[in-house]
Amino acid sequence: MADLAHADTHDDHDHKPHGWRRWVYATNHKDIGTMYLIFACTMFFIGGAMAMVIRLELFKPGLQFVDPQFFNSMTTMHALIMIFGAVMPGWTGLANWMIPMQTGAPDMALPRLNNFSFWILPFAFTLLLSSLFVPGGAPAGGWTMYPPLVLQTGASFPMLIFAIHLMGASSILGAINVVVTIMNMRAPGMTLLRMPLFVWTWLITAYLLIAVMPVLAGAVTMLLTDHFFGTTFFTAAGGGDPVMFQHIFWFFGHPEVYILILPAFGIVSEIIPTFSRKPLFGYEAMVYAVASIAFLSFIVWAHHMFTVGMPLAAQLFFMLSTMLIAVPTGVKVFNWTATMWKGSLSFEPPMLFALAFLFLFSIGGFSGLMLAIVPADYQYQDTYFVVAHFHYVLVPGAIFGMMAGVYYWLPKWTGNMYDLKLATWHFWLSTIFVNVLFFPQHFLGLAGMPRRIPDYAVQFTDWNMVSSLGGFGFGLSQLLFPYIIWKCVHGGERIGNKAWEGAHGLEWELPSPPPYHSWTTPPSDAVIARGAAH
Amino acid sequence: MSSSVAPESAEQRRRVRRSAIAWLLVAALFYFGFIVLTLVRAAK
Repeated sequence: MADLAHADTHDDHDHKPHGWRRWVYATNHKDIGTMYLIFACTMFFIGGAMAMVIRLELFKPGLQFVDPQFFNSMTTMHALIMIFGAVMPGWTGLANWMIPMQTGAPDMALPRLNNFSFWILPFAFTLLLSSLFVPGGAPAGGWTMYPPLVLQTGASFPMLIFAIHLMGASSILGAINVVVTIMNMRAPGMTLLRMPLFVWTWLITAYLLIAVMPVLAGAVTMLLTDHFFGTTFFTAAGGGDPVMFQHIFWFFGHPEVYILILPAFGIVSEIIPTFSRKPLFGYEAMVYAVASIAFLSFIVWAHHMFTVGMPLAAQLFFMLSTMLIAVPTGVKVFNWTATMWKGSLSFEPPMLFALAFLFLFSIGGFSGLMLAIVPADYQYQDTYFVVAHFHYVLVPGAIFGMMAGVYYWLPKWTGNMYDLKLATWHFWLSTIFVNVLFFPQHFLGLAGMPRRIPDYAVQFTDWNMVSSLGGFGFGLSQLLFPYIIWKCVHGGERIGNKAWEGAHGLEWELPSPPPYHSWTTPPSDAVIARGAAH
Repeated sequence: MSSSVAPESAEQRRRVRRSAIAWLLVAALFYFGFIVLTLVRAAK
């Protein structure tokens, strides 16, 4: 009996360190994933608080609460924090948790590098956020950092540049870890075309990260030398060209958009089959569609800057290449819809968020097509129509995709089912308010309201009030999210290996919660085949 | 690899090391390449 107990204690291989060492020296993929997710959630609320300041100031015309400089700092910091602090680390957290579990690997391939990638982030964002307290205030030239405006930034300028270098380094190291893990650590039998779509989308995202983050690093280094060392890369007076910065920035910036959204495609491709109780329609087409979108993302960058003036041939090229993205995206939307066709659908919170993603991301995609049309873009550019467009892509797109993923896998991570009723409330409140918040911004933009302004003409008042009320509602309803997670971590109905009846995939073959090390013995081919239900 | 479970076989360990070094080199080449190009151009 004693021997049996001894054997049991050694079966789990849970030699986890305790106390602060477990987190500071963390090398376990689940611990690091958890830290990434907590960090992303914290940044989501800090960036969200800045959005509340923006919507408060825009509630009515005139200057009420903040001065214009601080308002511009809020728009700049909100974007930087949400993109680099909330969405990107959030995806990396999910990748850390799920890639080893879904591929039959015991852990990420490079655990110490994983630790290093994470711990760079708190330093980067402490640096960025502390710029709020230096003379001249936080950066206020927009997250795109266009010169010559950004070169007028005060003491916070080098802090911004160094913070971006740190974020870039963290992302690249995280991406290398993902690529090396997927290419080398998959269980025997887990062929590339048996991999879950979330793993596929992350593999492609990781390649994008390795390719474009260095471009951003080069661009901001040029800004740094222009500011401090007398170079004139982007200063017309010295023979430089400010438009060149925009080309370099958007060569990074457009693939970055797909870095933010591709993992959401992967998650939705996991959730819709589960709650339709059908295999994913067109698995291989989905993989090729994601790869096509990633490839096309490198040849569309100038659609962000049609109005700077460029040859007609260039305008046509970038317009048509941008429109081409609608083809693989259409394939994906068609396949998700076809997966649901004649399925036995149920509408638990992950499915609700995935469906909202499908509808609302498509709205963002359509307004993107409108912006791709050069003569139309001349009217829309730098208006609230653009703000509405990219927020539809990023909030009910990337953020809803992430929430869908958390609600899908949270029972697996904790072993407890969360409060489904409260999560359904979270879904409906978020979905209603996100539309109240962003849909009127289309009208404002079409009516000519410029973006990045703290004050506006009185004819824009009504829709701004509606938008702000939607913003406050959306912000408040997000408080439910950490509460639901906290409640689930501390208890709830116990679940077996599978939280959802229709779920397939290796992660559902592990116990809930999974052991500290996921697959110490690789899963058999039969288990892999059962999981790859496409 | 401290408390984490390391890659199983020596062969897998070698593949992980080779692959990690290759990707780190590619990333470093990109990352520092852009910066060095910038500085070289700035020095002219």
